[in-house]
Amino acid sequence: MLNYIKRHFDLKVGLSTLALALIGLVSIYSATYDARASEIFYKQVTWVIAGSVVLIAFTFVPFRLLQSLSFPAYFLSLLMLVIVLLLGKTVSGSTSWFNLGSFRIQPSEFAKITTVLALASYLSRSDVSLQSPRGLLTAAGIVLAPVALIMLQPDFGTAVIYGGMSFALLYWGGASRFTLIAVVAPVAAALGALLGTTPFLIVVAVFGILIYVTRDHLLVAAVVFSLMVLTGISVQFFYDGLRPYQQKRIATFLDPNADPLGAGYNILQSKVAIGSGGLTGKGYLRGSQTQLNFIPEQWTDFIFCVPGEEFGFLGAATVLLLFGGLLMRGVSLGSIVKSRYASFVAIGLTAILATHVFINIGMALGLFPVIGVPLPFLSYGGSALLSNTITVGILMNLYTNRKEY
Amino acid sequence: MALQIDIQVYRKRRVLSTVIAVMMLLFLARLYQLQLIYREEYGKKSEENSVRVIPKEPVRGYMYDRNGLLVVDNRPSFTVTLMPYEFDKNSIGFLARTLALDTAFIRERLKLGEAYSRFAPVKIKRDIDFRELSALEENRDRLPGVDFQVESKRLYNTPAHAAHILGYTKEISESQIKALGQDYVAGDVAGSSGLEGAYERSLRGKKGAEFSTVNVRGQVVGGFESGKLDQQAEDGKDLLLTMDFGLQAFAESLMTGRRGAIVALDPADGGLLAMVSAPDYHLSVFSGVTPPQIWNAMNADGAKPLFNRATLTRYPPGSTFKMVLAIAALESKTVTPAWRISCGGAFRLGNKVFKDLHVHGSVDMTTAIQQSCNVYFYQLMLKTGLDEWAYYGKELGFGMLTGIDIAEENPGLLPTTAFMNRRYGPSGWTRGFLPSLGIGQGELGVTPLQMACYAMVLANQGAYHQPHAVRAVVQKDERRVDTLAFQRRRLRISPETWRVVREGMRRAVELPGGTGGLARVKGVEVAGKTGTAQNPHGPDHSWFVGFAPFDNPRIAVAVLVENAGFGGTHAAPIAGLCMERYLFGRLVRTTPATPPPPKPAIAEEHAAADPIQEGR
Repeated sequence: MLNYIKRHFDLKVGLSTLALALIGLVSIYSATYDARASEIFYKQVTWVIAGSVVLIAFTFVPFRLLQSLSFPAYFLSLLMLVIVLLLGKTVSGSTSWFNLGSFRIQPSEFAKITTVLALASYLSRSDVSLQSPRGLLTAAGIVLAPVALIMLQPDFGTAVIYGGMSFALLYWGGASRFTLIAVVAPVAAALGALLGTTPFLIVVAVFGILIYVTRDHLLVAAVVFSLMVLTGISVQFFYDGLRPYQQKRIATFLDPNADPLGAGYNILQSKVAIGSGGLTGKGYLRGSQTQLNFIPEQWTDFIFCVPGEEFGFLGAATVLLLFGGLLMRGVSLGSIVKSRYASFVAIGLTAILATHVFINIGMALGLFPVIGVPLPFLSYGGSALLSNTITVGILMNLYTNRKEY
Repeated sequence: MALQIDIQVYRKRRVLSTVIAVMMLLFLARLYQLQLIYREEYGKKSEENSVRVIPKEPVRGYMYDRNGLLVVDNRPSFTVTLMPYEFDKNSIGFLARTLALDTAFIRERLKLGEAYSRFAPVKIKRDIDFRELSALEENRDRLPGVDFQVESKRLYNTPAHAAHILGYTKEISESQIKALGQDYVAGDVAGSSGLEGAYERSLRGKKGAEFSTVNVRGQVVGGFESGKLDQQAEDGKDLLLTMDFGLQAFAESLMTGRRGAIVALDPADGGLLAMVSAPDYHLSVFSGVTPPQIWNAMNADGAKPLFNRATLTRYPPGSTFKMVLAIAALESKTVTPAWRISCGGAFRLGNKVFKDLHVHGSVDMTTAIQQSCNVYFYQLMLKTGLDEWAYYGKELGFGMLTGIDIAEENPGLLPTTAFMNRRYGPSGWTRGFLPSLGIGQGELGVTPLQMACYAMVLANQGAYHQPHAVRAVVQKDERRVDTLAFQRRRLRISPETWRVVREGMRRAVELPGGTGGLARVKGVEVAGKTGTAQNPHGPDHSWFVGFAPFDNPRIAVAVLVENAGFGGTHAAPIAGLCMERYLFGRLVRTTPATPPPPKPAIAEEHAAADPIQEGR
């Protein structure tokens, strides 16, 4: 019996997801342990229940149906992104929500999945090659359409997730090293430029060498290099020309939850929270950093501090291991399925989860800059949780059907 | 397999898995570094980082009367707080002795606070005096987690009480926290009745926060991040009232020793000029700390001083309601103003006899109002019918909330056919029930506020304004005064009807033979109507509604004196005095026309009368 289940269902993925969602509920309860606890916590409980239903549904949905709906679903989500720009609700400066009764829906969360499905569908065609300019440009178009709409909201965090996902798929799909570097270069230059002149120059130097080494044609390499430099300079020029309050808005754009009261405050408090947890933590509901609400809206992007502070190294490492196992499993799924489509879907979806995890935990640990993205399954938020459970549902579906497709 | 050749999955899987493994190892190493190597350092930081967020209470908004007089003011007071996380429970005894509190009370407060958050200060005593403050300050070392907050406390700058309309502030209850939302925590003070309650959101302002670093002993060792995080409190908004506190104080003095209510409105816009509910109390007993004994005593008082008689009672209005029937009869074309009856002092319907005070002889409508002839209205009610009467009663605002801007209000009861069928069954009531309603008795129940609105509509010949006590809200930070908008409507009643009814009211006060002669004001033409309402709790309630000046009304007033007797004797002179005081700004009469002194015996005798139940 157990063997039968193991053969047909990816229990590792399913159980780590469940464990992470439960750790998430426990952490949210602690982070909101005051007057507002009931509302946020019980809403998330509702979402976890809804998410489980969705997960099971996507596990059993016929694989062929999923495949044939890839493009229709993609275009539907583009339409939703347009509609939300026109009719949506603005929350902390970003128009990305629909109201659905007392719950809010964020279409960009679902667009991530449909983009992976569409891109996988396109790349799995036998006549498509990422070595050819046509294949590359079409793939770029599929990714950039939703990214452009999301940047208009504006939601920088989600756009970065698309970057991670497309990079992984380009790599998996056989794009050349040069292509991969050319894709990353302008983004790196833009970020470097926002951080200052020295970081920008370092980025230019490092990527200049990489471009030169991996080039096929010198002319193409020169064009890519100039584009990178131009992107960086124009970003810096544009930024310097802004008034202080507009610059501040860009800082908030980089991080929607940026503390308006002082840069680095969140990071410092987050490090203190995690560091003071020690080996075993301060005990549930006893973390002074968490309970004193040092970090604004901790239940969203800084939720990782809660297990870190209250359950210490053991708690935080458990979360890391669960994520590590889940992501490894996703990558290996990309190699054991039969069809190219299934393989691309597995890698694309895993890359989305991985980018979230890397950026979020790296930020909480003070390793990466602050970019507002939620931690999958742990952070408060219904749309993100549903989209993540759909992701896991599809991964489990791929596993179940691995011998056929 | 094709997949393996064209994607080279095994090589790429190794690369991607390595990326994931490297990231996870990096994170683990970082965790190890933060939590195991630097644990001590961060642990210390997190302890020092007992950055305490001290809420800064905003200054509650002021209230000014219609003449710009500051009537509700604030003064600072010190509140003692405990932070459960830092507080040493061994010092409860010392704290209780110093502050003259019960140790059980402190324990209970602490438990409540802990259930909420171990790090949020709990208020344990408001408005401490200087001796208590210095005793705590000297023993700071022994009392970690004990601190002070400056809060503002209400200060009343007027001889008037105006207790029911202004309302009081009180420590917030659990249900209020739920209703009011995020900016409130246990221990906060919020308006809980009257204007303080209704305009809570405007008056309160927004809390600020001051971040300061404290050491293990709870002593503040400095600011935090050089005050960058501090947020200024935003002061509450001021209210500009429509009330005249000169009139308010005078009207209260007229009700001393009596039970009842006075409501005066400005007919031009429905602005409240005065609202008295007697007996009342001084609001300062609720400012700062209210000892439980006082609360209990006020709640137990048979005279119910906390109860707003002006808006919550449900008494029959007696003859003051006769204009409703007159309007219904004229508008439904049941009779003309010239319709007459002959009053023999009583009216017989079947085997029931309805009495009148006098034999009025042959009377038409104007005279019937002037002399308050019951027989006329018994017969008119039978001719007009319940439906028309109830329709115009509703038009005039009875049986529903007036929408005044305080929460305490009763809609009263206006019997309709549907109501009578529900109450007695469709065949359980007869025409014999109608005559009583025609003279404002029976099931009918009204509030003095509704009666004042009724007087306002009569004064205005049909213009109804939603009554209100606040004219405008001052947005201090934006240097802007927001005038509030209230509803208004025009009743569809013909000018001829108004003329007849108002003429009856004018004669009731101004001409000999009228019942309201004691409401006269020298040099001003007054119109009004008296009422003497029978009730099951003892002597009749005395009513008067009226307005002045007749041609260009500037004040509409309703007076109720409980269990006082005849309306023309008790309520009418009080109304006259109020109108005079408001129209001239002082009393101009040469002869003192004060109402007869209250009869304490009656008040004692009927102490059990429950104003809420009455009139049902």
